[in-house]
Amino acid sequence: MQVRRCLYVLVAFATFLFPAALFAQFAPPTAEELSMTSEPKAPGAAAIYLYREETVDDNLHYHSFFARIKVLTEKGKELATQSVPYAKGYNTITDVKARTIHSDGTVIPLDVKPSDLVEAKVGTLQVNKVVFTLPSVEVGSILEFKWALRYDDNQVSSPDWDLAQPYFVRKAHYSFKPYKNLADITVNDEPAGKLLYSGMLPPGVEVKEEPLSSLCTLDLTDLAPIPEEEYMPPIGSYIAQVQFYYTRFSNKDEFWQNAGNKWSKQMDHFASESKGIKDAVAGIVAPGDSDEVKAHKLYDAIMKLDNTDYTRRKSKEELKRAGLRQTKTAEDVWKQKSGSSDEIALLYLAMARSVGIKAYAIVVCDRDREIFNPYYMSMRQLDDVLVIVRIGDKEQFLDPGKKFATFGELDWRHSLVGGIRQQDKGTAIWTTPSNNYKAAVTYRFADVTVDKEGTIKGSARVSMVGPSALHWRQMALQNDEDEVKKNFNESLKGMVPDGVTAELDHFLGLETYNSQLMAMVKLSGNIGASTGKRAFLPGVFFESRAKHPFVTMEKRTTIVDMHYAEVVQDDVTYHVPDNFVVESAPAETSVPWAGHAGFTLKSQTDKNAIHVSRSFLRGFAMVQPAEYAALRDFYQKIQTADQQQIVLKAAPADAAKDASAKAAPGN
Amino acid sequence: MKLLRWAWMVGGITVLPLVALAGPIFGGRDKQPVPQWGLDAYKTRTPDYAKDAASVILYDDYLETVDAQGRAVEREREAIRILKPQGRNRVCGVSHDVDEKINYFRAWTIGADEKQYQAQEADFIEEGDTGVPIMLSTNKYRVVHPPAVDVGAVVICESEEVLKPYIQEAVWRIQSDVPFVYEAMEVDLPAGRNYAEGWHRFKGVKPVEVSPNHWRWEIKDMPGLTLRDVPSSPELAVLLARMTVQWGSAAVPGTDNQWRAIGQWVTTLEANRPDPSPEITAKVQQLIAGAPDFYTKLSRITQSIQKDIRYFVVMRGIGGLQANKASDIYRNRYGDCKDKTTLLISMLQVAGIHAFYVPVDHRRGMVDPEDPSLVGDHMITAIEIPADVHDARLKAVVEGSNGKRYLIFDPTDERTPVGNLPSNEQGGFGTLAAGSSSQVLSLPVLAPEANGTERKGAFTLAADGTLGGSMDTVHSGPEGGDFRSFLKYSDEKQRHDAWERMVTRDVPGAVLESFNVVEPDALDLPLEFHYKLKAGDYARKAGPLLLVRPRVIGSVAIPFNDKPRTVPIDLTATGHWHDSYDIALPDGYVVDEMPDPVNLDTDFASYHSTISAKDKMLHYERDYTVKKVELPAEKQADFRHLEGAILSDERSTVVLKKQ
Repeated sequence: MQVRRCLYVLVAFATFLFPAALFAQFAPPTAEELSMTSEPKAPGAAAIYLYREETVDDNLHYHSFFARIKVLTEKGKELATQSVPYAKGYNTITDVKARTIHSDGTVIPLDVKPSDLVEAKVGTLQVNKVVFTLPSVEVGSILEFKWALRYDDNQVSSPDWDLAQPYFVRKAHYSFKPYKNLADITVNDEPAGKLLYSGMLPPGVEVKEEPLSSLCTLDLTDLAPIPEEEYMPPIGSYIAQVQFYYTRFSNKDEFWQNAGNKWSKQMDHFASESKGIKDAVAGIVAPGDSDEVKAHKLYDAIMKLDNTDYTRRKSKEELKRAGLRQTKTAEDVWKQKSGSSDEIALLYLAMARSVGIKAYAIVVCDRDREIFNPYYMSMRQLDDVLVIVRIGDKEQFLDPGKKFATFGELDWRHSLVGGIRQQDKGTAIWTTPSNNYKAAVTYRFADVTVDKEGTIKGSARVSMVGPSALHWRQMALQNDEDEVKKNFNESLKGMVPDGVTAELDHFLGLETYNSQLMAMVKLSGNIGASTGKRAFLPGVFFESRAKHPFVTMEKRTTIVDMHYAEVVQDDVTYHVPDNFVVESAPAETSVPWAGHAGFTLKSQTDKNAIHVSRSFLRGFAMVQPAEYAALRDFYQKIQTADQQQIVLKAAPADAAKDASAKAAPGN
Repeated sequence: MKLLRWAWMVGGITVLPLVALAGPIFGGRDKQPVPQWGLDAYKTRTPDYAKDAASVILYDDYLETVDAQGRAVEREREAIRILKPQGRNRVCGVSHDVDEKINYFRAWTIGADEKQYQAQEADFIEEGDTGVPIMLSTNKYRVVHPPAVDVGAVVICESEEVLKPYIQEAVWRIQSDVPFVYEAMEVDLPAGRNYAEGWHRFKGVKPVEVSPNHWRWEIKDMPGLTLRDVPSSPELAVLLARMTVQWGSAAVPGTDNQWRAIGQWVTTLEANRPDPSPEITAKVQQLIAGAPDFYTKLSRITQSIQKDIRYFVVMRGIGGLQANKASDIYRNRYGDCKDKTTLLISMLQVAGIHAFYVPVDHRRGMVDPEDPSLVGDHMITAIEIPADVHDARLKAVVEGSNGKRYLIFDPTDERTPVGNLPSNEQGGFGTLAAGSSSQVLSLPVLAPEANGTERKGAFTLAADGTLGGSMDTVHSGPEGGDFRSFLKYSDEKQRHDAWERMVTRDVPGAVLESFNVVEPDALDLPLEFHYKLKAGDYARKAGPLLLVRPRVIGSVAIPFNDKPRTVPIDLTATGHWHDSYDIALPDGYVVDEMPDPVNLDTDFASYHSTISAKDKMLHYERDYTVKKVELPAEKQADFRHLEGAILSDERSTVVLKKQ
């Protein structure tokens, strides 16, 4: 989908009241709407929005919503049930009206009172859902419904417009009447005074502002549905949308400078120098240590702390009983030997600074959740704190809040993401580096002895560095080792050939972070297939069942996000019985994708042993849709290579014996 | 749709916090020390048999205090020791609906360091039942996450709840995925009230009368049950032991009498709900006009409900059990299982056919004839077959203890034709709610011919290993119904993606070139699926050889492993599957070797497969029949042998050699 990111300033001049109750009214459908059975611009769609309308008036303190939907298939009937979430005690949902119109024009109004259901309640915070289901819905029906959300006179609520929907939108109209006196509005206890909006808009679509009334409107037609593809980035960050803000800032630079400075002060305050920190680092680093050694030693020290994001945060009562106070500074974290990911990151910041290393905090998005949008002027899109240290003339990004992250490596969710960082002077919008494929390596070794019947015995070793090691180590923080073993065994099932049982014997290095994680695996079962005189083994032991991505999908509309770059290296040795000879082994294969990835497969026969080595290198985490054809071609070729088999042929005497045994009566 | 942001206020006026709600006490405001029973439970040693569990329930004690009207107040006391980090996820909770009231709910922790903590109000969370888009439920679940829940800690919870006035039974779940060291159930009945008990997958224990008409059952050392790494097993809920105690009309001696009372209760609850409206009457008369026989009459009505009534669940208090009125269901064109049954009974009534409610569970084995209760989550229909009707299309027929024949039909299943029955419901039990004739019914297991798939493929193999060709498949019975349901609830892209996924499971890299579904309106006619595919490198080159797997598409293998098992084997469905594939071989290649045929016959299934070659054509044919839906664990050796043979046949290879 083509969208552009933008930010605009809207200045409210008018002070007269917006006409009340401009709710969309139910209007008779057109003959074309009644009779249509498909939408040529959305072939195969289960339903489409014929029309959507959202109206917001902050002077009258309401949002209203109206939709007209055409049901085109049975699946489209699912839209007959609508639910409207709201914050109980702050909002009310009123004026719910709905009706179904059959394709012959018959109108069936909703006459059942909508249900107001609790979704979740914690303390005094409660989220409810108003749920209603339209009557007598058929394929061909038009569903119409509307509702209003109201809030108190002392509140305003500028809207977020989610323009893109799971279904095609034929036409939509949005309008927003901002509060008449912007000077009265406070945001975070500061006067606002301005209204801005940012958005990602389809080509030709814009927010229009009436100069006198300051009414903002947006109209669009023929908006494609939200795409659904494998390996998508957080799609919510890429689809058409508009966000309005009451703010005191005129542009994003001003906002991020101000918000960044505020955030930076909070970071510095938490990580402020103290005697406790000084004493702590004195016990960790030696005066003669280089900055690099100091940085590592401090990292080692904070990695030993209890990271409560993986365990549990202590309650006030527990802290009180233990004679500890609520965490307010890095020193508190050190004293308690416990803190959240962000708190531990800031403790590292404090310690690094305390030993004289230039260090900065950076707060970033979680790439699994959203992509940083600098035009969206909100600190709430930023999730996690990382630390940048300057060692020599080089800056290094560290992820001390991510328990067991290797020094110098970011969790993939924190790589290639935007955020705000501290600098020597002020703050700046920044992007974190991508991971290095050399730091995300999986080595798989297997040594397998196969007998005449295809029964195997053997062992395997899976060594992991980087994200895969981090995955299992973090799982071990929230589960005991037995549970991690069970999960690992389940993952092995998809890795080894059909009929083979792979059982983890033990891990090495599960509870540390600065070495490779090794899994020692026992192999047994039955492999391959056989005929009278031949037996077949999977050429690529660890990938014979793999389903490579992208192989069948011809087209791509969104960025491909494979999380991180990586290397997977396999070395497998089959020992086959003396009375078999290798008739065929996997052919040498090389699949290069210049500047992106590479794949090689080699086999070597040595008497009764066949060695197969496979190497897969993916040097990228993300690929643009324009490169999709090359990506698909790469995986298609790998899939072909991975399907190869080893053919063993029985020595003539054995083949004859087998043949006569088969011919014997009763077989 | 998402929640609005709430960050801004007008004119600096601060939004006031919500006024604290008056009502039940959930902890915090009624600070209390750990009760003595909790302290005693805490002292319980962790038994050796619990060492592999994530947590162990040291103590679980229910007290049902029943008033003169039969309404119960339930008190639960529970103590859980956390044994592993993942055991922290085990929480205490109380489920409650509009007709219920939590009197109190308190929780404490005795930490691994022996310090005691009480859960505060902020530690309690209330979750609604709003996660299912096609359900409207007023049920809520209050859970507590008390402090200091680390490995070694003991969580102690106590709650009291006034239960629904119309439910006069308690289901005591005596087994879980973690072990119980000690558990007890007490029922305190008013003078003159009786009780009846039933046990599911447990031999039972005798109660002690601790005071007049106040009964107590105790169980010690109940092992936990998990199905991890137990492939092809029934669902866990089915296998967990439980006890039911009745104190209402079903508190009578003898399971038959208890089932009769339960059925009578359902009959009364749903009385008059099916009364037909003039619109229903008119519709039925229109539908059955000119119908030549009973089956046609029936199928026109059932198909109208299956096609026109959208599935939407309404669970509001007693509405979880009692259907809406037929007139409302018909007008709104939506309803859940009990509503669809109600409308069906109503429409059949107009047509002069008697039909009855049959509460069941969608999990085979959940309803247990030895444990009379309302346990179940689904409603289907029993249609009385007139004595003079004998029609082979009516397959799902059972005979009641009254000698009457009933056709069992599920109107909620929108695609399985009347006469047949969804596979998951076959072999289970249900309550025939027919007033004084109520009884527990054993649901039928249909013959293999009532379900299955016929696949035919014609392919051409190129010398470079590319396979191209067409597939024609015919799906009947519940399997056809599942296919139709998928078609109903998917759009074109989803269908294409799903079928491509299905094909690429067997033929990696295959591309669907075209597909076409022939879906007859009549549900009892099979559904046809025709598609064309192409796959590069289907046959693998190995020097001068070309290796071809003749079983191109479709697997009938059921997951199995070699570990000893104690739980039954779920074969899913009876049925008959037949595959026939022709592969035209490339010029210059001849068959050098072929796998042997497979012929296996057991009392529960048979499997026969052959591969032959003639001229330039390779032919694969197999026939698979399943005659039972479930096997006892003792049959595991036979099951493994069969599945091993199927798996081996499915991956067998034909060797082609270049001439």
